Amino acid sequence: MPGALLLVALAAAVAGMGVGFRARRAWLALTLVAASAALVASLVVLWGGSDWEWRGAMPIGGETPHLRLDGLSALFLALVGVVGGAGAIYSHEYWSDAHNASAPRGRVWWTALLVSMALVLTASNGLHFLIAWELFAISAYFLITLDRAQRDVRAAGWLYLAASHAGTMVLFGFFALLASRTGSWDLGPVRDQAGLQPLLWLALLGFGIKAGAFPLHIWLPSAHASAPSHVSAIMSGVAIKMGVYGIIRFSGWLPWPAAGGGVVTVVGATSAVLGIAFAFAQDDVKRLLAYCSVENVGIILVGVGGAMLAVGDGNAPWGRLLLAGALLHVWSHGLFKALLFFGAGSVLHATGTKEMSRLGGLWRSMPWTAALTAIGMLAVTGLPPLNGFVSEWLVYLGLFDAVASHEPAAWAAAPAAIALGAAGAIALASFVKAGSVIFLGAPRSRLAERAHECGWAMRGPMVGLAAACLFIALAPTVVWPAVARGVAAWSPDWPVTGAAPLPLAVLGRVQLTLAVVLVLAGVVAWRVLPRNGVRRAPTWACGYAAPTARMQYSSGSFAGIATGWFRWVLRPHLLLRRPRGLAPAKSFRLEHTPDTMLDAVLIPLGGLIMRTASGARRLQHGSLSAYILYVVAGLAALGAMVFTASVR
Amino acid sequence: MTALGLLIVRLAWWLLLAPLLPGIINKVKAWVAGRRGPPVLQLYYDLARLWRKHVVLSTLASPAFIVGPAVAWVAVASAAMLVPLGPGGATLSFRGDVVLMLYLLALARFATSWAAMETGSAFEGMGAAREVSYAVLSEAAIIAAMLALSVQTGSVSLATMLVPSVGTSAVLLAAGLFTVLLAENCRVPFDDPATHLELTMIHEVMVLDHSGPPLAAILHGASVKLLLFAVLLTQAVLPMGLFSPLTATALLVLGVLVVTVGVGVVESLLARFAFRRVPLLLTTSVLLCVFALLVAWQGAA
Repeated sequence: MPGALLLVALAAAVAGMGVGFRARRAWLALTLVAASAALVASLVVLWGGSDWEWRGAMPIGGETPHLRLDGLSALFLALVGVVGGAGAIYSHEYWSDAHNASAPRGRVWWTALLVSMALVLTASNGLHFLIAWELFAISAYFLITLDRAQRDVRAAGWLYLAASHAGTMVLFGFFALLASRTGSWDLGPVRDQAGLQPLLWLALLGFGIKAGAFPLHIWLPSAHASAPSHVSAIMSGVAIKMGVYGIIRFSGWLPWPAAGGGVVTVVGATSAVLGIAFAFAQDDVKRLLAYCSVENVGIILVGVGGAMLAVGDGNAPWGRLLLAGALLHVWSHGLFKALLFFGAGSVLHATGTKEMSRLGGLWRSMPWTAALTAIGMLAVTGLPPLNGFVSEWLVYLGLFDAVASHEPAAWAAAPAAIALGAAGAIALASFVKAGSVIFLGAPRSRLAERAHECGWAMRGPMVGLAAACLFIALAPTVVWPAVARGVAAWSPDWPVTGAAPLPLAVLGRVQLTLAVVLVLAGVVAWRVLPRNGVRRAPTWACGYAAPTARMQYSSGSFAGIATGWFRWVLRPHLLLRRPRGLAPAKSFRLEHTPDTMLDAVLIPLGGLIMRTASGARRLQHGSLSAYILYVVAGLAALGAMVFTASVR
Repeated sequence: MTALGLLIVRLAWWLLLAPLLPGIINKVKAWVAGRRGPPVLQLYYDLARLWRKHVVLSTLASPAFIVGPAVAWVAVASAAMLVPLGPGGATLSFRGDVVLMLYLLALARFATSWAAMETGSAFEGMGAAREVSYAVLSEAAIIAAMLALSVQTGSVSLATMLVPSVGTSAVLLAAGLFTVLLAENCRVPFDDPATHLELTMIHEVMVLDHSGPPLAAILHGASVKLLLFAVLLTQAVLPMGLFSPLTATALLVLGVLVVTVGVGVVESLLARFAFRRVPLLLTTSVLLCVFALLVAWQGAA
C-alpha cells in the first residue's frame, strides 16, 4: 500500500517536473497529487503499524537500491508532503509568472526538492543516501537563488552551497567509514558494534551543518532571508529537518560514545538560547524567523540528547518523553514556521520590504495575514493552547523527570531546562516585537500605508497550516501514536504502546478547555464594551502636539535591553551620528546585527588559512638553483635519519 | 457536592480575596509613613467602578486591544487553578502541571504586552520592552526554583511538589522566589506602582491607555498573580503536610499575609532601583534559586 502510493507520488512528481516549465496549473495539480500521495503513504505507515521496504534488482552506481519507510522517516515525509503542497499553492500567487521570470524554473526545482528530500528519507543505502543528499542540496541552492539578479541573493546562495558541501564532505567520510567497517553500504541498526562509536561525531558535524545547530548555522540566516518566502518556508520548516533526521536516524542505528548524549544536549541548549538572542536583535523579519529556527532546532536537539542520556541511564522512561517531544516539535515547528514565513512573505509581497522598522499598522489592511500570523506567533512562542506548547511541554516534562530521578543525567538536564526557560522568554519577547512592530500601531512608511491583503492562493495555505497547528494543539492524543511509532523506530526498547501517556491526555483536555474559555472571554470582552459605551480618540503622547508614526517604539528600541546582555556574542555594528551644535543638522543611529560566527570566526579563520597557503606558495618560485638546494637538503636530512637509526 | 463546594471555595479564594493584597500593601506603606492611607478594600471599589465605566479606545487599536486583557485574565486565573491551596488542593493536578502554570503566566505576559503595543505609544512600548526583557531572567529563576522543589520531592506535579515537604534549601528558595515575586508583580525595587512618571515604570505604563472593563480585568489579574506568587512562596517554604488541615490553612493564610506585609515593608524602606541595576538583582535571584537547586540535590542524595 505505501509502496503503490509512493510510486504514484514519484510518477506525479516526475510528470510535474516535465510540464512545470509550461503548464503551471497542470504542475500545481501534479505536485499536489504527489505531495498528498506521499503524505497518505507516511500516514499509513505511522498509523498502519508496519514498515515499508523495497529492494530493487538493478544496481545503481554498483549498489542495488534499498528503500525503507519506517516510523521515523514517515514522520518527516509527512511534513515534506504538507509543507511541499502548501508551498506549491502559495507560490502560485506569490512567485507568479506575471511578476517573476524565474517562476517556471522555480516550479521545476520545487518538485525536484520534494523528490530529493523524499529520497533522502527513504534511502537505506549509504551511497544512494549521499546521491539523494547532493540532489537535495543542489535543488535547494537553485531555489534560494531564484532571484539571482540580486547581489545579496547570490552571496547567500554561494554561502549556502559552500556550507552545504562542507557538510556533504564530512558525510562522505562518515558513510565511507561506516561502509568500510560494516563491510556493506546497506544502512540499518548496528548498535552492537562498539567500534563504530566515534562515527557519531562525524554525523553530528555533517548533519549539524544542515540542521543549523549553533555554531554551524552560518549559512542559515542569509539563505532564509534572501530566498523567496515559499522557499524560506520549506527550507526552515522541512529542509533543515533533514539534518535533524540524520542526527536522529544515526543516533538510533549506531552506537555512540558515552559523552554523546551530553554533547547533543549542550549543543541544543546553546542553539536555543543564542539562536533566539540573535533573532531578537534582528530588524529583518525573515532573518528573525531564520534565527528562530536555530532556536527550535536547539529545542529538538535537547530532546534527542536527553533521550540519548536516558538510554545510557538504563533506558529511563523519561527519555521516551524527551524523544517524543523532539519528534512532535519537528512537526510543530515545520507547521508554524512555514505559516510564519508565508505570513512574512505576504507582508513582503504587499509592502515590498521586510524591514520591520518601515512597517506598522498592517492589521488594518491585512486582517487575515495579521490574524493567521498571530496564531503562528503564539505557537512558536510555545504558549498554551497551541501546538508549540505540547511538544515543548513533553521536552520539559522529560527534563524535569530526569532531574527528579536524581541520576547523573540531571547535570545536563537541569541546565538545559533553565536554558529552555530563558530561551522561551526571549522567544516571547521576539515575537511580541515582531508582531507588534509589523502589524500594530501606525504605519511607519508610505510602503506600509499602501499595503493590501494577499489573495486566496496565499491565504489558503496559511489557513490550512494554522488549522494543522490547532489540530495538534487540541488533540495531541490523536497524534501521539504517530510520534510513538517514531520513538519505537529509534529505540526498540521503547515499544509502541497504543494509549498516550496519561498526563498528555489531561493536557489535551486542558488545551481544549482553555481554547474554548479564551474564545468565550474574548467574545464577552467584545460584548461588554458597547454596553458601557466606547469613544475613539488619538493615542495620548504626553501632551505632545504633533506626534508622528516614527515616534513609536521600533524593533531596535524594543530589543535594546535584552540584546544588551548578549552584546558579547551579538557584536552589533553601530553607526551613530549624534546631533551636534545649536542647530543640529543630520543625525542618525543605525544598528544591525550580522552573524558573529561568520564574521568573527569563520571569515578570519578562512583568511588565516589563505595566508598560510600563500605563504607556503613562496617555496614554489621557479628558481632552479633553489630547487636543487631543496633536493640536497632533503637528501641530507634522509641521510641523517638513516645514519641516526643505524647508530641506535 | 463536596467537589463542587471545594471548587467554589477555591474560586472564591483566588478571585475574591486577591484584590485584598494590594490594599494590605498600601495600608502597610501608609502605616510606615505615618499616614492613614486608602481603605484596605480600595481595589474592590475601583474594580466595581471601572466595570461600569465607558471605554476610550485609541484610533489605532485593533480588536486585540480589548481581547488581550481578557486573555491575560483567563490565563492568570487558569494558572491559579493549578496551584494547590494547602489542604484545599488544586482544581486540576497532573504530572507536568508546573510547566503549564509557568506558560500560562507567559501567555498572560504575551497578551498584556501585545495589547500595550496596540496603541503605537512610545511609553507603552517602553513598558512592554521592559516587561518581556526582565521576564527572561525571572523565568530562568523560577524554573530553577521549580527544579529544586522537584528534586526535593522527586515529583513533577505542583500538588506533590509543594504541599508535603520542605527541604534544607528553604531559605535560599524563599529569598529567590521573593525577589522573583517582586519583579514579576512589578513592585519596588523593580518598579514603582505609585509613581506617575511613565519613563520609570514597567507595568503601570503598559496599561496607560486602557480604561473601563479591560483595565479592571488587568488590575484584577495582576492581583490574582500576586496572590499566586505569595501562595507558591508560602508553600515552597512551609511544610504544610505536617499539620492538620485546619492548622495548614491557617498557616497558609498567615504565610500569604506575611509575604504581603513583607512586600509593603520592602516598598516603604527601599527606593526603586535604577534600571541598569535591575538585571543585577534578577541575576542574584537566579543564582539564589540555582543554589537552592544544588542544596536540594545534595539533600536528596
